[in-house]
Amino acid sequence: MFGLIGHSTSFKDARQKAMDLGYDHIAEGDLDVWCSAPPQLVEHVEIVSAIGKRIEGAYIDSCFVPEMLTRFKTARRKVLNAMELAQKKGISITALGGFTSIIFENFNLLQHRQVRNTTLNWERFTTGNTHTAWVICRQLEMNAPRLGIDLKKAKVAVVGATGDIGSAVCRWLSQRTGVHELLLVARQQQPLKDLQQDLQGGRVLSLEEALPEADAVVWVASLPKNLEIDKSNLRKPCLMIDGGYPKNLDMKFAGSGIHVLKGGIVEFFTDIGWNMMAIAEMEIPQRQMFACFAEAMLLEFENCHTNFSWGRNNITLEKMDFIGEASLKHGFSVLGLQPDLQAVYA
Amino acid sequence: MPHIVNFKIMPTLESTEVEVNNDLVPCLPDFTSEEYKDAYSRINAIVIEGEKEAHDNYLSIGNLIPDKADELKKLAIMELKHMKGFTACGKNLGVKADMPFAEEFFSRLHGNFQKAFEEEKLTTCFLIQAILIEAFAISAYHVYIRVADPFAKKITENVVKDEYLHLNYGQEWLKANLSTCKEELMKANKENLPIIKSMLDQVADDAESLDMDKEELMEEFMIAYQDSLLEIGLDSREIARMALAALV
Repeated sequence: MFGLIGHSTSFKDARQKAMDLGYDHIAEGDLDVWCSAPPQLVEHVEIVSAIGKRIEGAYIDSCFVPEMLTRFKTARRKVLNAMELAQKKGISITALGGFTSIIFENFNLLQHRQVRNTTLNWERFTTGNTHTAWVICRQLEMNAPRLGIDLKKAKVAVVGATGDIGSAVCRWLSQRTGVHELLLVARQQQPLKDLQQDLQGGRVLSLEEALPEADAVVWVASLPKNLEIDKSNLRKPCLMIDGGYPKNLDMKFAGSGIHVLKGGIVEFFTDIGWNMMAIAEMEIPQRQMFACFAEAMLLEFENCHTNFSWGRNNITLEKMDFIGEASLKHGFSVLGLQPDLQAVYA
Repeated sequence: MPHIVNFKIMPTLESTEVEVNNDLVPCLPDFTSEEYKDAYSRINAIVIEGEKEAHDNYLSIGNLIPDKADELKKLAIMELKHMKGFTACGKNLGVKADMPFAEEFFSRLHGNFQKAFEEEKLTTCFLIQAILIEAFAISAYHVYIRVADPFAKKITENVVKDEYLHLNYGQEWLKANLSTCKEELMKANKENLPIIKSMLDQVADDAESLDMDKEELMEEFMIAYQDSLLEIGLDSREIARMALAALV
């Protein structure tokens, strides 16, 4: 069985969802009640892949909401308790969705392996980052040409280049896609220099320097709160892949030749009988989901019960190949720009 | 239909926030401070009294089911052993447990148990002792273990292992009798869960002095309680309705 650990996108949505599901006691509570609420296994689902492989899964809501991010201890407990629940339920491979993997990494949860009488077995969990990285790369490769951008001649900025997903995207784009030039953007300078050496290429720039030069931008860092960008300085067309979490780039950039695509989202070939993707605000919740969630499904489809994506900078091109092939084989496709764009840029 | 949907503005994790990681490294309280010892005199007493109540309650339940009396007596003896262990924890820190406070603290729950016992309401007796009190104890011990002095930590870790057995004993009985006891279980929950909640509120400040968060205590309790009710065979919506009783 595969598992997904997710959460609502806001406290308000979380309460509404809890009410809809009949969890009145949580729905009616204030944020303090939510901070004390246990994780809930809210849904079981059965899925048949495009080649007929049947698997079962479960969706666990950690009862975390983004409003808890400033409460470090609370956020940490929500993630650990949800992981403990997944393990107690005997789930073989569980993806950490939304803020879950971000909290896991940034709050050093690796040191908190013991949760009550359960010793967490990391082998049972995956960040899903390998699939997310592969999906983002494919989204860029498939959609750039539709806007008239030839990647072999293009400059592609990767914002958050030194992160787990960012560094994998850089490796793929330089070695597989063969983009003309990579513009590497991240907060810390030393890891950027290391990455540049590793890639044997790419140019280290600040965000302000990189954006006006870029034909395409892959965002895998959260958008700085006070970012002020003059859209008139950006290249047109420009393809922006919003691979961060939460996805809020289109509010800042979309329009007049700048095209924002939700990054790291896949679509299954047929409807899945679940309700839970609606809380992630997918356009087609019966089919669309975060690529990290899909990774848990793919690992279950492939009987690959291991923490496939784990730690930082462990994503190899070979692993991306493996998960990419599995993704296509079992019926996932990557989210693309809306079809009518082709007419505009034909 | 456009594939891109607008996402609401959601808080993000800024780099400045991440640097507060060090806050998460466990830092033990000063066990010798007057504030700590003052709070400990009440918390320690509650724990000792709780174990004593448990001892008495298991013996009482044994009177109601004579063929299980021996098993229940064994549980009762374990509780007495725990009581002695926790008494040693207080002595180790040079703290005198405030027993009158603890007796008052348990008085409502004690009264409800006695009433149920006199009316031979086994389900209510099991819910109060083997589910509510045990889940309350397990959750508090889990939180305490993370911030306890080394002596108390070791004792508490061993106690927790035993308490799971006790929780399990009550669960098994309620599970086997669920078809006939559900209504009484719901009623007993409605009467007693709010008492647990108010006990938690009452002890929150003292617990805070021992570095035990009220929020964490409540969450641990809800996890233990929810797990227990699931084990008994209730579904998650029934549990949701039962948990509502904690809030009103």
